[in-house]
Amino acid sequence: MSGAPGPILEVRDLHTQFSTLDGVVRAVDGVSFDVARGETLGIVGESGCGKSVTAMSILRLIPRETGRIASGSIKFEGEELTSLSEEEMKRLRGHRISMIFQEPMTSLNPVLTVGTQIAENVVRHLGVSWKQGRERAFEMLDLVRIADSRRRLDEYPHQLSGGMRQRVMIAMALSCDPQVLIADEPTTALDVTIQAQILDLMIELKEKTGTAIVLITHDLGVVAETTERVVVMYAGRKVEQAPVEALFEEPLHPYTRGLMRAIPRLDVEADAAGTRPRLQEIPGLVPILTQPIVGCAFAPRCSFATDRCRNERPPLVDAGAGHLVACWEVDRVRRAA
Amino acid sequence: MTAYIVRRLFATLPVMAVVAIFVFFLIRFAPGDPAAIIAGEDATAEAIAQVRMKLGLDRPVLEQFAIWSLQLLQGDLGISIFSNLPVTRLIAQRLEPTLALTLSTLFVAVALAVPIGVVAAWKARKLVDRLVMGFAVLGFAMPVFVLAYILIYFFAVQWRLLPVQGYAPIGEGFWPFVESLILPSVALGVTYMALIARITRASMLEVLAQDYIRTANSKGLATDRVLLLHALKNAAVPIVTVIGIGIALLISGVVITETVFNIPGLGRLTVDAVLKRDYPVVQGLILVFAGAKVLVNLVIDISYAFLDPRIRY
Repeated sequence: MSGAPGPILEVRDLHTQFSTLDGVVRAVDGVSFDVARGETLGIVGESGCGKSVTAMSILRLIPRETGRIASGSIKFEGEELTSLSEEEMKRLRGHRISMIFQEPMTSLNPVLTVGTQIAENVVRHLGVSWKQGRERAFEMLDLVRIADSRRRLDEYPHQLSGGMRQRVMIAMALSCDPQVLIADEPTTALDVTIQAQILDLMIELKEKTGTAIVLITHDLGVVAETTERVVVMYAGRKVEQAPVEALFEEPLHPYTRGLMRAIPRLDVEADAAGTRPRLQEIPGLVPILTQPIVGCAFAPRCSFATDRCRNERPPLVDAGAGHLVACWEVDRVRRAA
Repeated sequence: MTAYIVRRLFATLPVMAVVAIFVFFLIRFAPGDPAAIIAGEDATAEAIAQVRMKLGLDRPVLEQFAIWSLQLLQGDLGISIFSNLPVTRLIAQRLEPTLALTLSTLFVAVALAVPIGVVAAWKARKLVDRLVMGFAVLGFAMPVFVLAYILIYFFAVQWRLLPVQGYAPIGEGFWPFVESLILPSVALGVTYMALIARITRASMLEVLAQDYIRTANSKGLATDRVLLLHALKNAAVPIVTVIGIGIALLISGVVITETVFNIPGLGRLTVDAVLKRDYPVVQGLILVFAGAKVLVNLVIDISYAFLDPRIRY
């Protein structure tokens, strides 16, 4: 995968804002990251941290009435996406960059057959006939291991289970062999057993097709199992980035540490009464994004915070071996481990 | 599906029976006496009684009802008290203008309202949308007869582009037929256009906010495919429902339009028959109107299953 030159996707200093009645929401506030060809990058953070908006910004699917990419650069194969015309963008979507969403129950059109919904993507982008498009749809359903795929082509989404619908979404997204697949919480709405199947399927298909995956999730378990590198976002900013092993071995940002302490663990001993220690939540609330944030966005909730944290925005610094963190007090955090 | 249609058709029989009973007694309890009208203004009581006897109106109401019902079951709607012609023939003669006016009005309304509703939803809160919605309010508030006279004044009297009134049967040439229908269709159609455009916009706005539209956009599909296939097909059920209600209202609405534009259709026939208390004709007409509405309802219900695969009967 590393033979090709340069990253497939480069996001630089992205600012995406929404106009609301309460003022301008800075949903994404200066985020940068690269996606290498064929890699799986995780973007983690809690609800409202801007991870989905980042994904929608890459495809330029931010609703135009309320939101806009205020500044920054998104390059796909070296081509600047923010300055493309809408028509050029449409040629890219679903063809070279495609996306799957969190809600398989509502993301498929209820009045069109599964076959039509996959085939229309192929017909649109590869310029083939509807007959060939349908044939491709049939191949794709086989690829995502939907049994009895020939018959399923003529079925409607309501005749399929949630897991099957997400498989259909994956089949649709991969039908034109995209270079990048953005998966926004693809397993959150599914049963745990189905979650594992869908993730395995995505990784397997990635190995087969060489498609890079940007996996957006709030679930650190999913990140640990499937990604190679991780970006941690908080309040519209990137606070940490590291190869997945390094992140789990030594999380450097207090926020990342907080997230990890909030995961239930089986390796912690239960006491005599059979109860385990309470999970630790992160105290406080996510900041209101209509106010400009001075300093570190996490400072009000952080036990390490100093005056400097509250007044000066910490830059991302390399803590070694590609492990980036935006924290003034990283040395203290490290010692506190 | 076939079983459902057959079942629904059978279910219309009791509905029609109730309508028949209701209309028969209602008109007899209404004030006014056809015998007095036929006998003339200066007629004596005996003369009126004689006419009444000739018409069979002196018999007990229940007996009259029994006679009429038996005829009805044989498809016979009776004979007009005034013209002595069979009611079925009177209705058949007047059916073409009304059918033509109803269908052309419907065509004008749907063919314009659905596209402008779609565009308004697509460009929601932009200038086009505000213009469309402003027009909708105006169109909805404008009484049909006012609009009809305005249209006649400009298009027929001032600019002489179209005939003032009257109807040209399709048998007398297609273009005169179309010409005679344009003004009445527009006058009658504007209200429905406003109604259908509003519903289309509202229904489309709701659908355009759905996740599957985001999916369609994430596939880079062309705007017309997203709007006209992915969105409109989902938005269709409420739109079709309103079109159905529109057809039902139209059937009653033609009464006024036919009078204003002097079109010899069922509406005019109804007005004349009611004024003269021509019982068999009124009864026959109301049964035909009721039958038409029941049929429209059935067609609308069946269309749901074609628009939304989740609906099964």
